[in-house]
Amino acid sequence: MAKSMSLLWGAGSPPCWRVMITLEEKKLQGYKHKLLSFEKGEHKSQGVLEINPRGQLPAFKHGDIILNESCAACLYLENQFKSQGMKLIPDSPAEQALMYQRMMEGLTLTDKLNSVIYYDWLVPEQERHDSAVKRNREALAAELELWEGYLQKVAAGSYLARAFSLADVIVFPNVAYALRFGLSVGRYPKLAKYYSLLKERPSIKASRPPHWQACPQGYDILKDL
Amino acid sequence: MAQDMTLLWGSGSPPCWRVMIALEEKNLQGYNQKLLSFEKMEHKSPEVMAMNPRGQLPSFKYKDYVLNESYAACMYLENQFKSQGNKLIPDCPAEQAMMYQRMFEGLTLNQKMADVIYYNWKVPEGERHDSAVKRNREALAAEVKLWEGYLQKGSCCFLAGKNFSLADVTVYPSISYLFRFGLCEERYPKLAAYYNCLKDRASIKASWPPTWKETQGQDLLKDL
Repeated sequence: MAKSMSLLWGAGSPPCWRVMITLEEKKLQGYKHKLLSFEKGEHKSQGVLEINPRGQLPAFKHGDIILNESCAACLYLENQFKSQGMKLIPDSPAEQALMYQRMMEGLTLTDKLNSVIYYDWLVPEQERHDSAVKRNREALAAELELWEGYLQKVAAGSYLARAFSLADVIVFPNVAYALRFGLSVGRYPKLAKYYSLLKERPSIKASRPPHWQACPQGYDILKDL
Repeated sequence: MAQDMTLLWGSGSPPCWRVMIALEEKNLQGYNQKLLSFEKMEHKSPEVMAMNPRGQLPSFKYKDYVLNESYAACMYLENQFKSQGNKLIPDCPAEQAMMYQRMFEGLTLNQKMADVIYYNWKVPEGERHDSAVKRNREALAAEVKLWEGYLQKGSCCFLAGKNFSLADVTVYPSISYLFRFGLCEERYPKLAAYYNCLKDRASIKASWPPTWKETQGQDLLKDL
């Protein structure tokens, strides 16, 4: 199973992390993988472009099957390996609905985080405006407030859709990322609690960005949000 | 079933259209629905905000379950109503993978389309740049070419495998939107064939944006 799987990934990338968490949760350890560097432009190398013409990571293969969208890979793995590892899609209609809803809202959170964290990367110098930076930060703050609200009752075993699910697989890396980039645990206590409850989960610990271990200090771009 | 469902929607909005196609495909006609106007800012009305704090459409509810994200609603409906209507998720692993892959690439397509079509809506006047407009158009052109390529092989009518699937439910509305805004059928013959082939599918015909029947499209994408 895992031997016929391969993953090209980059450290710290939430989409890559999502796939790795899922592989761990579905007991698919042992997959082939290669860590690539975004800084060195390796995501645009021939090896990646052959699997993913978009030149993006993750680039995931299962035999001849290719899945380069992280949500697609996670959904596929859960559906194909339902009977092994953790169940990641709840059966209860209420929890299942909540799971799908939070999963997809997680993509909005990703976009708003990227608009702030990667502003200079995404916007050429002559098109940058303080007003845009301000607006993006306000939008991100409002978004994070929403998630703080979604996690009012967070506790061990009670996450975004009750039991750990695909919603957490998709969203946790973004929350971890926000904290890595300086989000105030004092101002967002529920998000901080969510992070600290899940960071020790075996699948998450096993797939944690390696350089975060070596370099525990993050950045502070979100410090005053 | 359908009586316990409520959809607040706007005409022509791809996310709203996706949910309506899914409801038709699963034989869930008869749901409660209300057409709202984006122009009149009705998506920010108290009625919508009560269902969706984000003030966005679609806003969809089944009993107490809120599913305001169109993909969430579509996936949920297929999973909960597997045994009725058309099967929208293939069993074959390769086709299923292709379906999920195209579905999520569909979000990128929609994003790049919105960056061009809604540029003036999204970017305040003082922040607009011709260089950004140009870059967004080039990005959309590259994206549309990718999709033209995806339709080279296999069936002209379906994005994944040999049957209509969630990939088509989620992506067809965006492709329709491209043509509504003037995309050239001669330049993108495979996309045009896909668009025209599925126009007559019952679920798509039944949910075709009402405002599109009344008014002419635009030509913003004519030269893409």
